[in-house]
Amino acid sequence: MFSRNIVLTVLGLLVAVSLIAAPVSAAPPVKGNNQIDFENLPPKETLFSALFGAGDIPTLDPSLAEDTTSIQMGLELFVGLTRLNEETAEVEPGMATEWKISDDGLVYTFTLRKGIPWVRFDRSTGEVVVVEDEQGNPRYVTAHDFVYGVKRTLDPKTGSNYAYVNWIIKNAQAVNGGSELGDQDPLYGKVDEIGVRAVDDYTIEYTLAQPAAFFPGIASMWINWAQPRWLIEEKGEKWIEAENIQSYGPYALGDWTHDVSATLVANPHWPGTEAVPKPSIKYIHFTMLDESPSFANYEAGLADVSGVPLTEMDRVKADPVLSKELSIAPELCSYYYGFNVTKPPFDDVNVRKAFSWAVNRQAIVENVTKGGQEPARWFSRPGLTAAPDPAKDDFGPPVAGDPAKAKEFLAASKYGSADKLPEITLMVNQVEAHVKIAEAIQQMWQEALGVKVNLVTQEWKVYLDTLDSDPPQVWRLGWCYDYPDADNFARGVFRSDSGNNHTRWKNAKFDQLVDQAAIETDLDKRRALYVEAEKILVEEDAAIIPIYWYTRVQVTKPYVTRTYSIGGHEHYEKWKINK
Amino acid sequence: MGRYIARRLLWLLVVIFSVSLITFAIAHAVPGGPFSREKKLPPAVLKQLNEKYRLDDPLWKQYVDYMGGIFIPRITQGEPITSYLEDYLINIPLGEYTLRWMNFGPSYKSQSRTVNDVFRENLPVSAELGLYAFLVASLIGIPLGIVAALKQNTLVDYLAMAIAIFGVSVPVIVLGPILIWLFAIRIPIFLPTGWGSLRAEVLPSIALGLGSSAIIARLTRASLLQVIREDYIRTARAKGLMERVVIIRHALRNSLIPVVTVMGPIFAFLVTGTFVTETIFGVPGMGRYFVTSITNRDYPVIMGTILLFAVVIVIANLVVDLLYAWLDPRIRYD
Amino acid sequence: MGVVSQAAAAPRVKELTRPPTSLWADAWRRLLRNKAAVLGLVIIVLILLVAIFADDSVVAVFTGRDPQPLLAPRHFAKQSLENNNAIPYWLTHVFPTLKPVGVEGGYAKINDTYILGADYNGRDLLSRIIYGTRVSIAVAIVGPLVSLVVGVSVGIVAGYAGGRTDNLIMRFVDIMYGFPDLLFIILLMALFRSTTSAAEAGTLRAVLTGVDNAMGGMFFIFVGIGVTAWMSMSRLTRGQILSLKQKEFIEAARAVGARDGRIIWRHIVPNILGPIVVAQTLNIPQYISTEAFLSFIGLGVQRPTPSWGSMIADGASAIRTYPNQAIFPALALAAVMFAFNFLGDGLRDALDPRLKGTD
Repeated sequence: MFSRNIVLTVLGLLVAVSLIAAPVSAAPPVKGNNQIDFENLPPKETLFSALFGAGDIPTLDPSLAEDTTSIQMGLELFVGLTRLNEETAEVEPGMATEWKISDDGLVYTFTLRKGIPWVRFDRSTGEVVVVEDEQGNPRYVTAHDFVYGVKRTLDPKTGSNYAYVNWIIKNAQAVNGGSELGDQDPLYGKVDEIGVRAVDDYTIEYTLAQPAAFFPGIASMWINWAQPRWLIEEKGEKWIEAENIQSYGPYALGDWTHDVSATLVANPHWPGTEAVPKPSIKYIHFTMLDESPSFANYEAGLADVSGVPLTEMDRVKADPVLSKELSIAPELCSYYYGFNVTKPPFDDVNVRKAFSWAVNRQAIVENVTKGGQEPARWFSRPGLTAAPDPAKDDFGPPVAGDPAKAKEFLAASKYGSADKLPEITLMVNQVEAHVKIAEAIQQMWQEALGVKVNLVTQEWKVYLDTLDSDPPQVWRLGWCYDYPDADNFARGVFRSDSGNNHTRWKNAKFDQLVDQAAIETDLDKRRALYVEAEKILVEEDAAIIPIYWYTRVQVTKPYVTRTYSIGGHEHYEKWKINK
Repeated sequence: MGRYIARRLLWLLVVIFSVSLITFAIAHAVPGGPFSREKKLPPAVLKQLNEKYRLDDPLWKQYVDYMGGIFIPRITQGEPITSYLEDYLINIPLGEYTLRWMNFGPSYKSQSRTVNDVFRENLPVSAELGLYAFLVASLIGIPLGIVAALKQNTLVDYLAMAIAIFGVSVPVIVLGPILIWLFAIRIPIFLPTGWGSLRAEVLPSIALGLGSSAIIARLTRASLLQVIREDYIRTARAKGLMERVVIIRHALRNSLIPVVTVMGPIFAFLVTGTFVTETIFGVPGMGRYFVTSITNRDYPVIMGTILLFAVVIVIANLVVDLLYAWLDPRIRYD
Repeated sequence: MGVVSQAAAAPRVKELTRPPTSLWADAWRRLLRNKAAVLGLVIIVLILLVAIFADDSVVAVFTGRDPQPLLAPRHFAKQSLENNNAIPYWLTHVFPTLKPVGVEGGYAKINDTYILGADYNGRDLLSRIIYGTRVSIAVAIVGPLVSLVVGVSVGIVAGYAGGRTDNLIMRFVDIMYGFPDLLFIILLMALFRSTTSAAEAGTLRAVLTGVDNAMGGMFFIFVGIGVTAWMSMSRLTRGQILSLKQKEFIEAARAVGARDGRIIWRHIVPNILGPIVVAQTLNIPQYISTEAFLSFIGLGVQRPTPSWGSMIADGASAIRTYPNQAIFPALALAAVMFAFNFLGDGLRDALDPRLKGTD
C-alpha cells in the first residue's frame, strides 16, 4: 500500500537518524535558566546587535583573542589598565587611575582602581553576582591578576597570537620564543623573567626593552587584561564558557549559545568611571549571522543595529528611511596590494610604479566598495597617532591614478612594453568583496597598460601559507591597528624583519626611519619621520599599492543613542535605548 | 534476513574506516595548518601548539590515535571529568566506574569546545532541517507524481510537472533570498533567519525540500507510468478490477521501487547538504560549521562530521535495501 | 503483442541479430512526434549554438588572434565601473522596486545600452549569460557522461554478474557512497584549488593545473562532480537489473544461447534506459547547481569566467536591491532545465521498447 510504504520509509529513516542522534541528544548541554529567557529578552531593556558575522565567537580568552568578535566581547567583559576612546582612539584611564613614566622612558608604573570585584552571572537567580574566594570574601581585581594575564599571554604554552605586541616589554620576546634562538634561548618559557611585576596589590610596573611612546596604547589591549588565575587553573580551556566565566567589566556574560547568539548582562557591580560609565542598556544580545541575513533581520525589525551588505548600499543610500539610519565612520585599517619584489617583473621598480599608478582608487571606492571608503595614497591610516595626514601631506600615487604616467613608467622599465612582460598572477583570498576589487583592478591594468593579469583566488589558510612560503607576484592584504599608532603600521608591517612583510622588500633607510620614530617622543618629529618612511614605501620603491582606508558602514534604529567607533569595536556601555 | 543485516552492519565498520582514511589523507593534503595565521606565531610557539595537539606526530600515529579515541572505549574511576581534550559522547555509569566511548577530539577553532560539543549543539539542528525538508519533499512530491501519472497528458499532468520542473530549476541560493524577500520582508509572516521556532523553520525547510520534491514527483510519475503499462496491470484491468484497486494494490506498490531507491540518497543529501540553506537562513547547523572547519583546518571537526554523516548515509541505504526487498518480493537477500 | 512476448518466444534467430540501429531510429521517430521533447531539443540545440558562437573563437583558433564577441554584445570581462549595477529602463516596469534615480527612494542608474542590466563591476549581464552557457552546457554534458559511462557500466556488471562480483563492486560503491557527496566535493575542491598555485613545473599536478587554468577552472569541477556522480547511477542500474534479470524474456534469451554482451546490449540496456535517462536528465540540474554551489562558496570557476551558477551566487546576495542580477541567469538556468526535462521525458517514452506497436 502506498501510504503505508511511505510512512514506513520515513519511519525507517527516522530510526536510522535517531540511532545516530540518540546518544548525541542524550546529553543535552546545560542551557537556559529559570530566571531569564535569553530568546525573548524585553525589547525596552535590550539592544539587539547584528554586528557579528556568521560563525561562533572563536574565544573569550584575552590571551587568545585575535578577531573583532572575540575582542568586542572581551572589551565589555574586561577593562584594560588604559582604554582607548572608541571615537578618538585617545588613551583614557581604564582600570588604572594614573600612570607614571620614568625619565628614561623605560619604566611605566600604573596605579590600579580599588574595590572592583570579579563577577559572574548566576544562572539560578539570573543575576550578576560577586565572586568569592575560599574564605567567602569578595575577590577584587588586583595587580596580581594583571601580571598573571601578561605572563600567561607571553607563555609559549598559551600560543597567543598577539603576544608579539608585548615583545616591547623587557625579556618578553625571548620568553615567548621570538628571539633568534627560539626555544633554545635561556629565557624561553621563563615567564617570571618578563619585565612586569606587582609592586603591591594595586601597583603594576612594566619595564620595557626600549622606550616606546605608544606603550599606554598597548596597555589597553586584551593581551594585558587581568585574568582569573584560580578559575583558569581549575577549568582549563573551558573557563570561558558561559557557566564558568568570571570577569569584571561593565557587562557580564549571561548566555553563550554557540554558533547562534551571545548575551551580555549589565554588571551592577561596575562602579562606572569617566571613560567607562555604568551601562544604561541591561542586555546586549548578539546574533551570529552573515551580513545579508543580519541586514534582513534589521529590515524586519529584529535587530537594532547592523552592518550593510555592499550589494544593498545603493538602495540603502536612496531609501528615505534607511538613509537616515545609515552611518559611515572611519575605521583604522588599510587595504593594499603588495608586490613580491623578488619576482620578475616586479623586481623592477618602474614596473611596480606603473602598476600602482594605473589603479584608479577613486573609481574603486565609488563604484566597487561603495561604503564611503577613502582612497589611500600611503599605508598608515590617517587618524593614527603620528600618521601622515592627507590635509597636510601630498605624496604617493594619485587617488584617481594616472594612466599616462603609468605608461611612461612601464616604458622606462627594463621591459619597455606590456608584451615583453612575463606572465603575471594576482592573488587574493576568496572573499566576494576582495574578488570584486581584484576584478576591477585587473581590468584597470588591462586598460591602462595593456597587461593581462591572471586572477587567482585562494582560500584564507592556503593564502596565508602561500604568502609565507612563496608570495605571488601581486597579492592583497588589509591591516587593522592593534594600538592606534603609525608605529603599528609602518614598523609593525614593513620593517625588513617583520613577519607581516610579505613583499620581501627591504630598505635600510626605511628601517632606520621607523626605528627612530618609535623612540622619538615629539609628535611632530615623529609624523615627519613617518612621512619620509612612507614616501619610500609607496613612492620611491613602490613596494605596495595602497588602495583604500576602511570605513564602517552601519544602520542603527532611530531610538538608539550611540557612539560611533573608529576602531571596529563598540563601547556598548555608552549606548542608550529611548523607547 | 537477520544475518544479512548483521553482515551489512559489519560492512558499516569497513566503510567507516575507509571513509575516515580517505578523508584524513585529503584533509591533511590540503596545505596550511590550523595555526597558520595572518599575524605569524614565533616558530617556538607553533612547536608548542603542535605538541599540545600532537600535530607533530607522524601522520599514521595521528590517525591511529584519533580513531582509537573514537572506537576504543575507556573505563574511568570516579566522577567522569569532561575537559577540552577528553570529552566522550557516550558515558555509561557502572557503579563507581564509568564506561566512556567516542572521543572525537577538540575543535582547534572554537578553543573551548570539543567536536562532541559541536555535535550536541549543531547536529540536532541540521537533522531537524533535513527531516523537515524530507517531509516537504515527500508530501509534495509523491502525491504530485501520482496525480500527474493518473491524469497523463492532461492539463493536470502538465501543471504538476511544471511545478516539479520549477522546483528542480530554481536552486536554493535563488529561492532562499526570494522567499525571505516575499515572506519575511514584504509580508512579514515568517522570520528571515534563525531556528528554534516554527516561524523561523518554515522557509528553510521549504527552500531545501522543494528541489527534492520535484525529483520525487517526476520519478514517481515516470515509474508509475511504466508500471501501468506492464502486462500484469493490463491483466488486472482485463479481469475487470476497479481502476482504484488496480492502481493502489498493483501499480503503486511496484512503481515505488525506484522512488524508494532515490529517497535514501535524497534523505542523506538533505541531511548532509544543508549548507547553502543554513548560510542563507542563518541556521546554526552542521553544514555551515563543516565548511568553516575546512577553511580553518580544524581536522577533528572535518573528520568527525564526515564520519558521522557517513554513518547516516550507510544506515539510510541499508534501510532502503531492506525496504526494497520488502516491496519487491522477487528480490531476496540471503 | 509487445516486444516482451516477441523476445520471450525468440523463434527467429535472425530477429536477434538485427543491428540495433533500428531500435534507435524507431525511438528517434517517436521522439520527433513529442512536441515538448522537440521544444526541449530545440532549446538545447539553440543554447549549444549560443555557447559555440558566443564569440568567434571557432574562427579565431585558426587565425591565431584573440576571439571577438559574436553573439554577445560585449566581452564577458569588459567592465565599466561607472555603470555598475546599471538598469535598462524597461526593467523598472518589471521590478517595481527598481525605481530610477530621481524618484523618491530611487537608486537605479538607467542605462539602456545594457539590455538586461550590468553587474556590480559594470559588466553586461546579457553578455555574461551568453558566455555563461559554455560552463553550464559543459557541466550538463560532462556530468551525465561520466555518470553514465562509469556508473551504468559498473551497475550493469554488478547487477548482471551477481554473486561475488556484485558483492565486491557494491561494497566498493558502498564505501564511496558513504561519503556525504557535497562535503566530499568541498573537501576535494579545497584540495584542488589550494594545491594548484603551488604546483611545480613538470609535475602531473602542474599539467592538471594547466588544463584547469585553460578551462577557466572547469576541469576540477568536472573531476569533483565526476567522482561523486556515478555512484547513484550504478545503484539505480543495478536495482533495475536485479528486477529485470528474473524476467522471462531474459531467461529465454539466455536459453537460446545468447551471449552476455548481446543480452546486456539488446535486452537489458533498452529496458533500463527509461529510468536511467529520466534519472540522468533529472541529475543535470543537480550537476549545474553543484557547480553553482561551488561558486557560492568560492570553489567554482575562476573569475572572471562567468557561469550561471556564479552569477546566481553573486546576484543572490543582491536580490533585494537588484533582482535582475540573479533572476536572469536563473531564468536561463530554468530554461535549460525545462529543456532537459522535456527531452528526458520524450526520450523515455521513445526508448521504452514496450511501447512498440502500441500506438
